[in-house]
Amino acid sequence: MTEIRGRGVVKGRAEGPALVADATLSFWGEVDPVTGCVIAVGHPLEGQSLAGRVLIIRSTKGSSATPMILNLAKLEGKAPAALVNVEVDSLAALGCIVNDIPMLTDLDQDPFETIRTGDHVVVDADLGLLTIRSRI
Amino acid sequence: MELTAEEHGILEGARGPYLAKCMRWLVEWGEVMGARRLVRVDNTHVLLPVPNLMARGASQRTIQHYVDGLKEACSHHTAPGCYCTVHTLFLTMDDLDVPENDPAQVRMQKEIGEMAAAAGFIPTWTCAPYLVGNVPLKGEICAWTESSAVVYANSILGARTTRHGNESAIAASLLGVVPEFGVLLEENRKGTLRVEVSADLDSPTDWGALGYFAGKLAGLGIPVFNGVRRPSQDEAKQLCAALATSGGVSMCHIAGVTPEAPSLEAAFQGDVPAGCVTFTGDTLRDTYASLRNHTGDQIDSVILGCPHASIREIAEIASLLKGQRVAEGVRLWVDTARGTKAMADAMGYTAIIEAAGGRILCDTCPTNMRMPARRIVTHGFKQAHYARGMVGAEVIVAETGPSVRAALAGRWLGDD
Repeated sequence: MTEIRGRGVVKGRAEGPALVADATLSFWGEVDPVTGCVIAVGHPLEGQSLAGRVLIIRSTKGSSATPMILNLAKLEGKAPAALVNVEVDSLAALGCIVNDIPMLTDLDQDPFETIRTGDHVVVDADLGLLTIRSRI
Repeated sequence: MELTAEEHGILEGARGPYLAKCMRWLVEWGEVMGARRLVRVDNTHVLLPVPNLMARGASQRTIQHYVDGLKEACSHHTAPGCYCTVHTLFLTMDDLDVPENDPAQVRMQKEIGEMAAAAGFIPTWTCAPYLVGNVPLKGEICAWTESSAVVYANSILGARTTRHGNESAIAASLLGVVPEFGVLLEENRKGTLRVEVSADLDSPTDWGALGYFAGKLAGLGIPVFNGVRRPSQDEAKQLCAALATSGGVSMCHIAGVTPEAPSLEAAFQGDVPAGCVTFTGDTLRDTYASLRNHTGDQIDSVILGCPHASIREIAEIASLLKGQRVAEGVRLWVDTARGTKAMADAMGYTAIIEAAGGRILCDTCPTNMRMPARRIVTHGFKQAHYARGMVGAEVIVAETGPSVRAALAGRWLGDD
Protein backbone atom coordinates (compact mmCIF):
# COMPACT_ATOMS: atom_id res chain seq x y z
CA MET A 1 0.00 0.00 0.00
CA THR A 2 1.29 3.43 -0.95
CA GLU A 3 -0.03 6.55 0.75
CA ILE A 4 0.16 9.96 -0.90
CA ARG A 5 -0.59 13.09 1.09
CA GLY A 6 -2.68 15.83 -0.45
CA ARG A 7 -5.23 18.49 0.35
CA GLY A 8 -8.94 17.81 0.35
CA VAL A 9 -10.80 20.34 -1.80
CA VAL A 10 -14.26 18.82 -1.53
CA LYS A 11 -14.81 16.51 1.41
CA GLY A 12 -15.79 12.86 1.26
CA ARG A 13 -14.33 9.41 0.74
CA ALA A 14 -14.52 7.22 -2.34
CA GLU A 15 -12.60 4.45 -4.03
CA GLY A 16 -12.28 2.84 -7.39
CA PRO A 17 -9.92 2.09 -10.24
CA ALA A 18 -7.75 5.05 -11.18
CA LEU A 19 -8.01 6.69 -14.60
CA VAL A 20 -4.85 8.68 -15.11
CA ALA A 21 -3.69 11.16 -17.74
CA ASP A 22 -1.40 14.18 -17.58
CA ALA A 23 -4.01 16.15 -19.49
CA THR A 24 -6.88 18.61 -19.12
CA LEU A 25 -10.55 17.87 -19.78
CA SER A 26 -13.79 19.76 -20.37
CA PHE A 27 -16.81 17.78 -19.19
CA TRP A 28 -19.24 19.50 -21.59
CA GLY A 29 -18.15 18.67 -25.11
CA GLU A 30 -15.54 16.11 -24.15
CA VAL A 31 -17.54 13.72 -21.94
CA ASP A 32 -20.84 12.06 -22.83
CA PRO A 33 -22.96 12.05 -19.63
CA VAL A 34 -25.13 9.17 -20.84
CA THR A 35 -22.27 6.74 -21.49
CA GLY A 36 -19.79 8.35 -19.08
CA CYS A 37 -17.10 8.11 -21.78
CA VAL A 38 -14.55 10.65 -22.99
CA ILE A 39 -15.52 11.62 -26.55
CA ALA A 40 -12.80 14.21 -27.27
CA VAL A 41 -10.97 13.18 -30.44
CA GLY A 42 -7.25 12.68 -29.84
CA HIS A 43 -7.56 13.01 -26.06
CA PRO A 44 -5.35 10.54 -24.14
CA LEU A 45 -8.51 9.22 -22.42
CA GLU A 46 -10.65 9.04 -25.59
CA GLY A 47 -13.11 6.16 -25.34
CA GLN A 48 -12.46 5.55 -21.63
CA SER A 49 -15.36 5.50 -19.17
CA LEU A 50 -15.21 7.76 -16.12
CA ALA A 51 -18.01 5.90 -14.35
CA GLY A 52 -17.02 4.86 -10.83
CA ARG A 53 -13.37 5.67 -11.47
CA VAL A 54 -11.01 8.05 -9.69
CA LEU A 55 -10.15 10.59 -12.37
CA ILE A 56 -6.59 11.83 -12.02
CA ILE A 57 -5.82 14.68 -14.44
CA ARG A 58 -4.00 18.02 -14.45
CA SER A 59 -7.21 20.08 -14.29
CA THR A 60 -10.53 20.65 -15.95
CA LYS A 61 -10.69 23.32 -18.64
CA GLY A 62 -13.11 24.57 -21.26
CA SER A 63 -16.84 24.73 -20.77
CA SER A 64 -18.74 26.24 -17.88
CA ALA A 65 -21.25 23.38 -18.21
CA THR A 66 -18.83 21.05 -16.39
CA PRO A 67 -21.01 20.96 -13.22
CA MET A 68 -24.11 20.33 -15.36
CA ILE A 69 -22.53 17.41 -17.18
CA LEU A 70 -21.25 15.97 -13.87
CA ASN A 71 -24.80 16.29 -12.53
CA LEU A 72 -26.34 14.50 -15.52
CA ALA A 73 -23.65 11.81 -15.39
CA LYS A 74 -24.36 11.32 -11.68
CA LEU A 75 -28.10 10.96 -12.36
CA GLU A 76 -27.28 8.39 -15.07
CA GLY A 77 -24.90 6.53 -12.70
CA LYS A 78 -21.89 7.42 -14.85
CA ALA A 79 -20.07 10.01 -12.75
CA PRO A 80 -16.49 9.53 -11.59
CA ALA A 81 -16.11 8.34 -7.97
CA ALA A 82 -13.63 11.11 -7.14
CA LEU A 83 -11.46 13.76 -8.80
CA VAL A 84 -7.76 14.23 -8.18
CA ASN A 85 -6.47 17.36 -9.91
CA VAL A 86 -3.06 19.04 -9.87
CA GLU A 87 -4.64 22.47 -10.35
CA VAL A 88 -8.13 23.42 -9.17
CA ASP A 89 -10.43 24.93 -11.79
CA SER A 90 -13.37 26.67 -10.08
CA LEU A 91 -15.74 24.63 -12.27
CA ALA A 92 -14.42 21.25 -11.11
CA ALA A 93 -14.68 22.41 -7.49
CA LEU A 94 -18.27 23.56 -8.00
CA GLY A 95 -19.23 20.38 -9.85
CA CYS A 96 -17.85 18.24 -7.04
CA ILE A 97 -19.57 20.33 -4.31
CA VAL A 98 -23.03 20.17 -5.85
CA ASN A 99 -22.73 16.50 -6.79
CA ASP A 100 -21.05 15.22 -3.59
CA ILE A 101 -17.93 14.01 -5.36
CA PRO A 102 -14.74 14.08 -3.25
CA MET A 103 -11.88 16.10 -4.73
CA LEU A 104 -8.20 16.12 -3.83
CA THR A 105 -5.27 18.32 -4.92
CA ASP A 106 -1.70 19.31 -3.90
CA LEU A 107 -0.36 15.73 -3.78
CA ASP A 108 3.14 15.41 -2.34
CA GLN A 109 4.11 13.02 -5.15
CA ASP A 110 3.64 13.36 -8.90
CA PRO A 111 0.45 11.36 -9.50
CA PHE A 112 1.36 10.80 -13.16
CA GLU A 113 4.57 9.06 -12.05
CA THR A 114 3.18 7.08 -9.15
CA ILE A 115 -0.34 6.04 -10.15
CA ARG A 116 -1.28 4.01 -13.21
CA THR A 117 -4.65 3.58 -14.83
CA GLY A 118 -6.31 0.55 -13.25
CA ASP A 119 -4.60 0.82 -9.87
CA HIS A 120 -7.24 0.57 -7.14
CA VAL A 121 -7.12 3.79 -5.14
CA VAL A 122 -8.93 5.21 -2.12
CA VAL A 123 -9.45 8.96 -1.89
CA ASP A 124 -10.09 10.35 1.57
CA ALA A 125 -10.56 14.07 1.10
CA ASP A 126 -11.43 14.54 4.79
CA LEU A 127 -7.94 13.35 5.76
CA GLY A 128 -6.27 14.65 2.58
CA LEU A 129 -5.00 11.19 1.66
CA LEU A 130 -4.81 9.04 -1.45
CA THR A 131 -4.02 5.37 -0.88
CA ILE A 132 -3.01 2.97 -3.64
CA ARG A 133 -4.61 -0.22 -2.39
CA SER A 134 -3.52 -2.54 -5.16
CA ARG A 135 -1.47 -2.23 -8.30
CA ILE A 136 -2.64 -3.42 -11.64
CA MET B 1 -15.28 32.71 5.21
CA GLU B 2 -16.80 35.56 7.21
CA LEU B 3 -20.51 35.97 6.64
CA THR B 4 -22.79 38.82 7.65
CA ALA B 5 -25.65 38.07 10.04
CA GLU B 6 -28.08 38.20 7.11
CA GLU B 7 -25.99 35.80 5.00
CA HIS B 8 -25.67 33.48 7.95
CA GLY B 9 -29.43 33.60 8.45
CA ILE B 10 -30.07 32.61 4.82
CA LEU B 11 -27.64 29.71 5.25
CA GLU B 12 -29.66 28.64 8.28
CA GLY B 13 -32.91 28.71 6.33
CA ALA B 14 -34.32 32.19 7.05
CA ARG B 15 -35.46 32.48 3.40
CA GLY B 16 -36.41 28.86 2.92
CA PRO B 17 -34.65 25.63 2.04
CA TYR B 18 -33.85 26.37 -1.60
CA LEU B 19 -32.10 29.67 -0.91
CA ALA B 20 -30.30 27.98 1.99
CA LYS B 21 -29.01 25.43 -0.51
CA CYS B 22 -27.96 28.22 -2.88
CA MET B 23 -26.09 29.95 -0.05
CA ARG B 24 -24.41 26.67 0.90
CA TRP B 25 -23.21 26.25 -2.72
CA LEU B 26 -21.70 29.76 -2.72
CA VAL B 27 -20.14 29.47 0.74
CA GLU B 28 -18.62 26.01 0.19
CA TRP B 29 -17.39 27.03 -3.25
CA GLY B 30 -15.89 30.22 -1.84
CA GLU B 31 -14.19 28.36 0.98
CA VAL B 32 -12.52 25.80 -1.28
CA MET B 33 -11.44 28.55 -3.71
CA GLY B 34 -9.97 30.73 -0.94
CA ALA B 35 -12.61 33.48 -0.68
CA ARG B 36 -12.84 35.42 2.57
CA ARG B 37 -16.23 37.00 2.03
CA LEU B 38 -19.22 37.35 -0.27
CA VAL B 39 -19.51 40.50 -2.38
CA ARG B 40 -22.44 42.09 -4.20
CA VAL B 41 -22.93 40.93 -7.78
CA ASP B 42 -24.50 43.28 -10.35
CA ASN B 43 -24.81 41.05 -13.38
CA THR B 44 -25.29 37.34 -14.07
CA HIS B 45 -25.56 35.03 -17.07
CA VAL B 46 -27.15 31.71 -16.14
CA LEU B 47 -27.70 28.29 -17.71
CA LEU B 48 -31.31 27.05 -17.78
CA PRO B 49 -31.31 24.42 -20.53
CA VAL B 50 -33.43 21.29 -20.79
CA PRO B 51 -30.87 18.58 -21.56
CA ASN B 52 -31.79 17.15 -24.98
CA LEU B 53 -30.39 13.77 -24.10
CA MET B 54 -33.42 11.59 -24.85
CA ALA B 55 -32.12 10.93 -28.35
CA ARG B 56 -28.89 9.72 -26.78
CA GLY B 57 -30.55 7.32 -24.38
CA ALA B 58 -30.78 9.26 -21.12
CA SER B 59 -33.61 8.16 -18.86
CA GLN B 60 -36.82 10.16 -18.51
CA ARG B 61 -36.05 10.26 -14.79
CA THR B 62 -32.74 12.07 -15.36
CA ILE B 63 -34.32 14.66 -17.61
CA GLN B 64 -37.23 15.20 -15.21
CA HIS B 65 -34.94 15.48 -12.20
CA TYR B 66 -32.79 18.06 -13.94
CA VAL B 67 -35.78 20.03 -15.20
CA ASP B 68 -37.35 20.01 -11.71
CA GLY B 69 -34.16 21.65 -10.40
CA LEU B 70 -34.43 24.40 -13.03
CA LYS B 71 -38.09 24.97 -12.17
CA GLU B 72 -37.24 25.23 -8.49
CA ALA B 73 -34.65 27.91 -9.30
CA CYS B 74 -37.12 29.81 -11.46
CA SER B 75 -39.77 29.83 -8.75
CA HIS B 76 -37.69 32.41 -6.84
CA HIS B 77 -37.04 36.01 -7.88
CA THR B 78 -33.71 37.47 -8.94
CA ALA B 79 -31.99 39.86 -6.54
CA PRO B 80 -33.05 43.51 -6.78
CA GLY B 81 -30.88 45.50 -9.19
CA CYS B 82 -29.11 42.47 -10.63
CA TYR B 83 -29.06 42.29 -14.45
CA CYS B 84 -29.66 38.59 -15.22
CA THR B 85 -29.52 37.11 -18.73
CA VAL B 86 -29.71 33.50 -19.89
CA HIS B 87 -27.28 31.26 -21.74
CA THR B 88 -27.83 29.22 -24.89
CA LEU B 89 -29.97 26.08 -25.03
CA PHE B 90 -29.55 22.49 -26.16
CA LEU B 91 -32.46 22.85 -28.58
CA THR B 92 -34.17 25.57 -30.58
CA MET B 93 -37.61 26.83 -29.72
CA ASP B 94 -38.34 27.30 -33.43
CA ASP B 95 -39.80 24.44 -35.46
CA LEU B 96 -36.99 22.13 -36.50
CA ASP B 97 -37.90 18.60 -37.42
CA VAL B 98 -34.92 16.58 -36.20
CA PRO B 99 -34.84 13.96 -33.42
CA GLU B 100 -32.55 16.19 -31.36
CA ASN B 101 -35.33 18.80 -31.15
CA ASP B 102 -37.91 16.62 -29.41
CA PRO B 103 -41.23 18.55 -29.19
CA ALA B 104 -41.89 17.41 -25.60
CA GLN B 105 -38.55 18.85 -24.49
CA VAL B 106 -39.15 22.05 -26.48
CA ARG B 107 -42.43 22.43 -24.53
CA MET B 108 -40.54 21.94 -21.24
CA GLN B 109 -38.02 24.56 -22.32
CA LYS B 110 -40.74 27.06 -23.19
CA GLU B 111 -42.31 26.52 -19.78
CA ILE B 112 -38.95 27.12 -18.08
CA GLY B 113 -38.49 30.21 -20.26
CA GLU B 114 -41.78 31.66 -19.05
CA MET B 115 -40.95 30.87 -15.43
CA ALA B 116 -37.47 32.39 -15.84
CA ALA B 117 -38.89 35.60 -17.28
CA ALA B 118 -41.39 35.84 -14.40
CA ALA B 119 -38.49 35.33 -12.00
CA GLY B 120 -36.62 38.31 -13.45
CA PHE B 121 -34.25 36.55 -15.87
CA ILE B 122 -34.08 38.04 -19.37
CA PRO B 123 -34.35 35.04 -21.71
CA THR B 124 -31.62 35.94 -24.19
CA TRP B 125 -30.73 32.28 -24.87
CA THR B 126 -27.25 33.07 -26.09
CA CYS B 127 -23.58 32.27 -25.52
CA ALA B 128 -22.68 35.89 -26.40
CA PRO B 129 -24.74 38.07 -24.02
CA TYR B 130 -22.51 41.06 -24.79
CA LEU B 131 -23.97 41.09 -28.33
CA VAL B 132 -27.57 41.42 -27.15
CA GLY B 133 -27.39 44.15 -24.58
CA ASN B 134 -25.63 42.67 -21.56
CA VAL B 135 -22.44 44.71 -21.68
CA PRO B 136 -21.04 45.10 -18.16
CA LEU B 137 -18.86 48.10 -17.39
CA LYS B 138 -15.23 48.04 -16.31
CA GLY B 139 -14.99 46.75 -12.76
CA GLU B 140 -18.59 45.45 -12.66
CA ILE B 141 -18.83 42.27 -10.59
CA CYS B 142 -20.51 39.54 -12.65
CA ALA B 143 -21.35 35.84 -12.31
CA TRP B 144 -21.30 34.48 -15.82
CA THR B 145 -21.54 31.01 -17.22
CA GLU B 146 -20.25 30.40 -20.76
CA SER B 147 -16.51 30.08 -20.72
CA SER B 148 -15.98 32.26 -23.81
CA ALA B 149 -18.17 35.07 -22.45
CA VAL B 150 -16.27 34.96 -19.14
CA VAL B 151 -13.01 35.62 -21.00
CA TYR B 152 -14.65 38.38 -23.07
CA ALA B 153 -16.14 40.09 -20.01
CA ASN B 154 -12.89 40.07 -18.05
CA SER B 155 -10.48 40.79 -20.86
CA ILE B 156 -12.24 42.98 -23.40
CA LEU B 157 -14.71 44.79 -21.12
CA GLY B 158 -12.70 44.82 -17.90
CA ALA B 159 -15.63 43.44 -15.93
CA ARG B 160 -14.91 40.80 -13.27
CA THR B 161 -16.25 37.27 -13.22
CA THR B 162 -14.83 33.91 -12.26
CA ARG B 163 -15.73 30.87 -14.35
CA HIS B 164 -19.25 30.09 -13.13
CA GLY B 165 -21.28 26.93 -13.46
CA ASN B 166 -25.06 26.74 -13.54
CA GLU B 167 -25.58 26.29 -9.79
CA SER B 168 -23.31 29.16 -8.74
CA ALA B 169 -24.72 31.56 -11.34
CA ILE B 170 -28.30 30.73 -10.30
CA ALA B 171 -27.41 31.17 -6.62
CA ALA B 172 -25.70 34.48 -7.38
CA SER B 173 -28.74 35.70 -9.33
CA LEU B 174 -31.18 34.89 -6.53
CA LEU B 175 -29.02 35.98 -3.58
CA GLY B 176 -27.20 38.91 -5.21
CA VAL B 177 -23.79 37.88 -3.93
CA VAL B 178 -20.74 35.90 -5.06
CA PRO B 179 -17.69 34.58 -3.22
CA GLU B 180 -14.72 36.87 -3.77
CA PHE B 181 -11.84 34.86 -5.21
CA GLY B 182 -9.77 34.50 -8.37
CA VAL B 183 -10.02 37.27 -10.96
CA LEU B 184 -12.45 39.25 -8.81
CA LEU B 185 -9.31 40.39 -6.99
CA GLU B 186 -6.83 42.76 -8.64
CA GLU B 187 -3.76 40.71 -7.72
CA ASN B 188 -5.15 37.66 -9.53
CA ARG B 189 -5.57 39.55 -12.83
CA LYS B 190 -1.84 39.57 -13.47
CA GLY B 191 -0.54 37.92 -16.65
CA THR B 192 1.13 34.51 -16.34
CA LEU B 193 2.23 33.77 -19.91
CA ARG B 194 3.83 36.15 -22.43
CA VAL B 195 2.87 35.49 -26.04
CA GLU B 196 4.77 37.49 -28.66
CA VAL B 197 2.75 37.62 -31.87
CA SER B 198 4.52 38.05 -35.19
CA ALA B 199 1.88 36.40 -37.40
CA ASP B 200 -0.39 38.66 -39.45
CA LEU B 201 -3.92 38.15 -38.13
CA ASP B 202 -6.31 39.01 -40.95
CA SER B 203 -9.68 37.64 -39.81
CA PRO B 204 -11.70 36.60 -36.75
CA THR B 205 -10.71 32.98 -37.38
CA ASP B 206 -7.02 33.93 -37.33
CA TRP B 207 -7.63 35.39 -33.87
CA GLY B 208 -9.33 32.12 -32.95
CA ALA B 209 -6.16 30.30 -33.96
CA LEU B 210 -4.14 32.56 -31.66
CA GLY B 211 -6.50 31.77 -28.78
CA TYR B 212 -6.50 28.04 -29.48
CA PHE B 213 -2.69 28.01 -29.47
CA ALA B 214 -2.32 30.11 -26.31
CA GLY B 215 -5.12 28.51 -24.27
CA LYS B 216 -3.43 25.14 -24.36
CA LEU B 217 -0.20 26.62 -23.00
CA ALA B 218 -1.85 28.94 -20.47
CA GLY B 219 -4.00 26.25 -18.79
CA LEU B 220 -5.79 28.05 -15.95
CA GLY B 221 -3.47 31.06 -16.26
CA ILE B 222 -3.66 34.49 -17.94
CA PRO B 223 -1.96 34.89 -21.33
CA VAL B 224 -0.72 38.31 -22.40
CA PHE B 225 -0.48 39.03 -26.12
CA ASN B 226 2.16 41.47 -27.28
CA GLY B 227 2.89 42.93 -30.67
CA VAL B 228 -0.62 42.72 -32.00
CA ARG B 229 -3.11 45.35 -33.20
CA ARG B 230 -6.53 46.05 -31.67
CA PRO B 231 -9.00 43.29 -32.66
CA SER B 232 -12.53 43.98 -33.88
CA GLN B 233 -15.43 42.83 -31.71
CA ASP B 234 -15.82 39.68 -33.83
CA GLU B 235 -12.08 38.97 -33.65
CA ALA B 236 -12.07 39.43 -29.87
CA LYS B 237 -15.01 37.03 -29.64
CA GLN B 238 -13.09 34.31 -31.51
CA LEU B 239 -9.95 34.88 -29.45
CA CYS B 240 -11.83 34.55 -26.16
CA ALA B 241 -13.81 31.48 -27.24
CA ALA B 242 -10.73 29.61 -28.38
CA LEU B 243 -8.77 30.46 -25.21
CA ALA B 244 -11.49 28.82 -23.12
CA THR B 245 -11.63 25.77 -25.41
CA SER B 246 -8.06 24.54 -25.37
CA GLY B 247 -7.53 26.02 -21.90
CA GLY B 248 -9.37 26.92 -18.72
CA VAL B 249 -8.50 30.58 -19.08
CA SER B 250 -10.61 33.20 -17.21
CA MET B 251 -9.02 36.20 -18.92
CA CYS B 252 -6.23 37.50 -21.13
CA HIS B 253 -4.61 40.84 -21.81
CA ILE B 254 -3.61 42.42 -25.11
CA ALA B 255 -0.76 44.82 -24.41
CA GLY B 256 -1.64 48.35 -25.39
CA VAL B 257 -5.23 47.39 -26.20
CA THR B 258 -7.40 45.88 -23.46
CA PRO B 259 -8.62 48.03 -20.54
CA GLU B 260 -6.24 46.70 -17.91
CA ALA B 261 -3.17 46.50 -20.15
CA PRO B 262 -2.15 49.98 -21.29
CA SER B 263 1.34 48.44 -21.56
CA LEU B 264 3.08 45.07 -21.32
CA GLU B 265 4.32 46.08 -17.85
CA ALA B 266 0.78 46.86 -16.71
CA ALA B 267 -0.49 43.49 -17.98
CA PHE B 268 2.07 41.74 -15.75
CA GLN B 269 1.61 44.25 -12.91
CA GLY B 270 5.25 45.32 -13.37
CA ASP B 271 6.69 41.82 -13.37
CA VAL B 272 7.28 41.09 -17.09
CA PRO B 273 8.75 37.62 -17.60
CA ALA B 274 11.82 37.36 -19.82
CA GLY B 275 10.64 34.07 -21.28
CA CYS B 276 7.86 33.97 -23.82
CA VAL B 277 6.26 31.84 -26.50
CA THR B 278 5.95 33.12 -30.04
CA PHE B 279 3.05 32.93 -32.45
CA THR B 280 4.48 33.16 -35.95
CA GLY B 281 2.99 32.74 -39.40
CA ASP B 282 4.03 29.09 -39.25
CA THR B 283 2.31 28.65 -35.87
CA LEU B 284 -0.83 30.15 -37.38
CA ARG B 285 -0.82 27.66 -40.28
CA ASP B 286 -0.05 24.74 -37.94
CA THR B 287 -2.90 25.72 -35.62
CA TYR B 288 -5.39 25.68 -38.49
CA ALA B 289 -3.99 22.31 -39.62
CA SER B 290 -4.52 20.88 -36.12
CA LEU B 291 -8.29 21.28 -36.56
CA ARG B 292 -8.60 19.88 -40.05
CA ASN B 293 -9.02 16.13 -40.02
CA HIS B 294 -10.96 15.76 -43.29
CA THR B 295 -10.26 12.76 -45.45
CA GLY B 296 -12.16 14.13 -48.46
CA ASP B 297 -13.59 17.34 -49.90
CA GLN B 298 -17.37 16.64 -49.99
CA ILE B 299 -19.06 18.47 -47.13
CA ASP B 300 -22.56 18.34 -45.61
CA SER B 301 -22.52 21.13 -43.00
CA VAL B 302 -21.27 24.68 -42.75
CA ILE B 303 -21.65 26.12 -39.26
CA LEU B 304 -21.18 29.85 -38.75
CA GLY B 305 -21.86 31.79 -35.58
CA CYS B 306 -19.74 30.16 -32.86
CA PRO B 307 -19.95 31.99 -30.55
CA HIS B 308 -23.33 33.32 -31.66
CA ALA B 309 -23.06 35.60 -34.71
CA SER B 310 -23.09 39.37 -34.42
CA ILE B 311 -25.31 41.41 -36.72
CA ARG B 312 -22.16 42.40 -38.61
CA GLU B 313 -21.26 38.77 -39.24
CA ILE B 314 -24.80 38.07 -40.42
CA ALA B 315 -24.58 41.05 -42.78
CA GLU B 316 -21.28 39.72 -44.16
CA ILE B 317 -22.68 36.22 -44.65
CA ALA B 318 -25.76 37.65 -46.38
CA SER B 319 -23.59 39.65 -48.76
CA LEU B 320 -21.51 36.55 -49.60
CA LEU B 321 -24.68 34.52 -50.27
CA LYS B 322 -26.77 37.11 -52.08
CA GLY B 323 -28.26 35.79 -55.29
CA GLN B 324 -26.56 32.41 -54.95
CA ARG B 325 -27.65 28.98 -53.81
CA VAL B 326 -26.21 26.64 -51.19
CA ALA B 327 -25.37 23.26 -52.77
CA GLU B 328 -27.92 20.46 -52.56
CA GLY B 329 -27.41 18.31 -49.47
CA VAL B 330 -25.47 20.97 -47.55
CA ARG B 331 -26.84 22.55 -44.38
CA LEU B 332 -25.69 26.14 -43.91
CA TRP B 333 -26.47 27.18 -40.36
CA VAL B 334 -25.91 30.67 -38.97
CA ASP B 335 -26.28 30.40 -35.20
CA THR B 336 -27.31 33.49 -33.30
CA ALA B 337 -29.36 34.93 -30.48
CA ARG B 338 -33.09 35.36 -31.02
CA GLY B 339 -32.61 39.12 -30.48
CA THR B 340 -29.98 39.35 -33.20
CA LYS B 341 -32.15 37.36 -35.59
CA ALA B 342 -34.96 39.85 -34.99
CA MET B 343 -32.61 42.57 -36.20
CA ALA B 344 -31.56 40.44 -39.19
CA ASP B 345 -35.24 39.87 -40.02
CA ALA B 346 -35.94 43.60 -39.88
CA MET B 347 -32.88 44.46 -41.96
CA GLY B 348 -33.56 41.88 -44.67
CA TYR B 349 -30.50 39.68 -44.04
CA THR B 350 -32.58 36.67 -42.98
CA ALA B 351 -34.51 36.76 -46.26
CA ILE B 352 -31.25 36.79 -48.28
CA ILE B 353 -29.77 33.90 -46.29
CA GLU B 354 -32.98 31.85 -46.54
CA ALA B 355 -33.36 32.58 -50.26
CA ALA B 356 -29.89 31.10 -50.70
CA GLY B 357 -31.00 27.95 -48.85
CA GLY B 358 -29.33 28.77 -45.55
CA ARG B 359 -30.95 28.97 -42.13
CA ILE B 360 -30.54 31.17 -39.10
CA LEU B 361 -30.69 28.91 -36.05
CA CYS B 362 -31.71 30.60 -32.80
CA ASP B 363 -31.13 29.74 -29.14
CA THR B 364 -28.50 27.03 -29.71
CA CYS B 365 -26.04 25.61 -32.24
CA PRO B 366 -25.89 22.28 -34.09
CA THR B 367 -23.02 20.99 -31.95
CA ASN B 368 -24.80 21.84 -28.71
CA MET B 369 -27.80 19.95 -30.13
CA ARG B 370 -25.42 17.13 -31.14
CA MET B 371 -26.93 17.11 -34.61
CA PRO B 372 -25.23 14.42 -36.70
CA ALA B 373 -22.97 15.51 -39.58
CA ARG B 374 -20.26 13.83 -41.60
CA ARG B 375 -18.01 16.71 -42.58
CA ILE B 376 -18.29 20.24 -41.17
CA VAL B 377 -16.71 23.51 -42.26
CA THR B 378 -16.82 26.18 -39.54
CA HIS B 379 -15.19 29.53 -38.83
CA GLY B 380 -15.10 28.90 -35.08
CA PHE B 381 -12.19 27.09 -33.45
CA LYS B 382 -14.45 26.25 -30.51
CA GLN B 383 -17.05 24.65 -32.78
CA ALA B 384 -14.38 22.75 -34.73
CA HIS B 385 -12.76 21.45 -31.55
CA TYR B 386 -15.94 20.14 -29.96
CA ALA B 387 -17.81 19.00 -33.09
CA ARG B 388 -15.27 16.25 -33.74
CA GLY B 389 -16.24 14.38 -30.56
CA MET B 390 -19.79 15.61 -29.96
CA VAL B 391 -21.17 14.81 -33.38
CA GLY B 392 -18.45 12.50 -34.64
CA ALA B 393 -17.80 14.64 -37.70
CA GLU B 394 -14.66 15.45 -39.60
CA VAL B 395 -13.97 19.18 -39.39
CA ILE B 396 -12.33 21.93 -41.41
CA VAL B 397 -11.79 25.23 -39.62
CA ALA B 398 -11.64 28.14 -42.05
CA GLU B 399 -12.35 31.84 -42.42
CA THR B 400 -15.92 32.94 -43.19
CA GLY B 401 -15.32 33.53 -46.93
CA PRO B 402 -13.93 30.08 -47.74
CA SER B 403 -16.60 28.52 -45.48
CA VAL B 404 -19.39 30.13 -47.50
CA ARG B 405 -17.70 29.19 -50.79
CA ALA B 406 -17.61 25.59 -49.59
CA ALA B 407 -21.34 25.75 -48.81
CA LEU B 408 -22.09 27.02 -52.33
CA ALA B 409 -19.89 24.42 -54.02
CA GLY B 410 -20.80 21.50 -51.75
CA ARG B 411 -17.16 20.76 -51.26
CA TRP B 412 -14.10 22.25 -49.62
CA LEU B 413 -12.28 24.37 -52.19
CA GLY B 414 -9.37 25.48 -50.02
CA ASP B 415 -8.62 28.77 -48.30
CA ASP B 416 -8.09 30.99 -51.36
